[in-house]
Amino acid sequence: TPLGPASSLPQSFLLKCLEQVRKVQADGAALQERLCATHKLCHPEELMLLGHALGIPQAPLSSCSSQTLQLMGCLHQLHSGLSLYQRLLQALAGISPELAPTLDMLQLDVTDFAISIWQQMEDLGLAPAVPPTQATMPTFTSAFQRRAGGTLVASNLRSFLEVAHRALRHFAKP
Amino acid sequence: LEECGRISLPASTVRLGDSITASCTVSPNCSRLGSEAQILWKLETEPQPGERQRRLEDGSQESTITLPPLHHPRALLSCCLRWENTLQILDQAELVAGYPPAAPHNLSCLMNLTTNSLICQWEPGPDNHLPTNFTLKSFRSRGNCQTQEEPIPDCVPKDAESRCSIPRKHLQLYQNMGIWVQAENALGTGKSPELCLVPMDVVKLEPPTLWALAPSPEVAPPQPGCLLLRWELWKPSLYIDQKCELRHQPQLGEASWALVGPLLSQTLQYELCGLLPSTAYTLQMRCVRWPLPGQWSDWSPSLILTT
Repeated sequence: TPLGPASSLPQSFLLKCLEQVRKVQADGAALQERLCATHKLCHPEELMLLGHALGIPQAPLSSCSSQTLQLMGCLHQLHSGLSLYQRLLQALAGISPELAPTLDMLQLDVTDFAISIWQQMEDLGLAPAVPPTQATMPTFTSAFQRRAGGTLVASNLRSFLEVAHRALRHFAKP
Repeated sequence: LEECGRISLPASTVRLGDSITASCTVSPNCSRLGSEAQILWKLETEPQPGERQRRLEDGSQESTITLPPLHHPRALLSCCLRWENTLQILDQAELVAGYPPAAPHNLSCLMNLTTNSLICQWEPGPDNHLPTNFTLKSFRSRGNCQTQEEPIPDCVPKDAESRCSIPRKHLQLYQNMGIWVQAENALGTGKSPELCLVPMDVVKLEPPTLWALAPSPEVAPPQPGCLLLRWELWKPSLYIDQKCELRHQPQLGEASWALVGPLLSQTLQYELCGLLPSTAYTLQMRCVRWPLPGQWSDWSPSLILTT
């Protein structure tokens, strides 16, 4: 399998990852649109205070940012971040009947993406033997908190994916 | 109701062309009976000779008969008694005959992004004359399906359908999975050859929507013998890199389709030239996931434009 010129990763893997990023971005956008349309939660910046109170963790992607781009470190952070978002989305279960299908689809696609990366790391012999420590999940105690949490998580995920997409595009550049 | 007679069969289903041995036991206190009841057999309406009759210790009479090879999928066997110049039917059994299921074949699958499910279909094989259950079985795998990782719940098709849909929640869209069809009836099991595929690699897109590109301040009118087109990719597939191809033919006359492509999905508009002037053309477009593998969409509905 031809390797991505800017990296030791197979080109097909990089193309798949780029597709999966775009797929998760589309799912995330769908969730944000529905949260806005159905519950008028359209601006995450209006929920910063609540976000701090809930303690919604963010996923670092320093090894994927252009200044400190480092392939294997980026893969690790990408996988850890996706695992974090998988758990955050799981914690949002019960968000609302109208949003459940959209949330389920997003969670399935995030999970698929995490598995794709993990298996590639395993194939490269880079999968960490000891799973990284897992951040504490917030506890949502009301339907409103789940929807507000959903708005914040979707927004954070969007930023996360933008950085991931840029890095993967760089690795896949002919 | 006191039971007069009862037929016993070694199996309710046999292979077509095989024979079967049946027995009928007539109880001694079957009212209004003479001492030596003569048991007779009928297959459908035909008397069957060759039975062997004996008296059991409890006074019952037992008749055993080996029937000729069965050549009909269904037959009615009757155990009868001659009584006062009449033939009394004491019990009946339906004999069912058929074949073990053939291995289903031509299994193929497509990932449908509208239903978000993997839809598989197959050829069931010749009629075996028996009720046959088909089950789509699959498992997740790394590599090329040599090793089974996690089983996926069986997919049971709706009645008599030769297709089944595996829902999104059971799929990992970008990982290998092994898939086969199992056919089962009373006489055995048939298993199709196994497919090893990645769901997204068999994604079939819906066709794009083809439009005429109206001249505007930004878009100069088409040259003679040219047409201006634009298209929109199917919305649920926007996250997928694709290539498309266009085909056209004069609306009248016998000319075959001319093919134009590949047209990369980012293009979205195209000036088609080299056509006959003042002629109506039928145009269609289709797209496929590319450079990653996928299945071509169907051709789009026709767009008729005149040069």
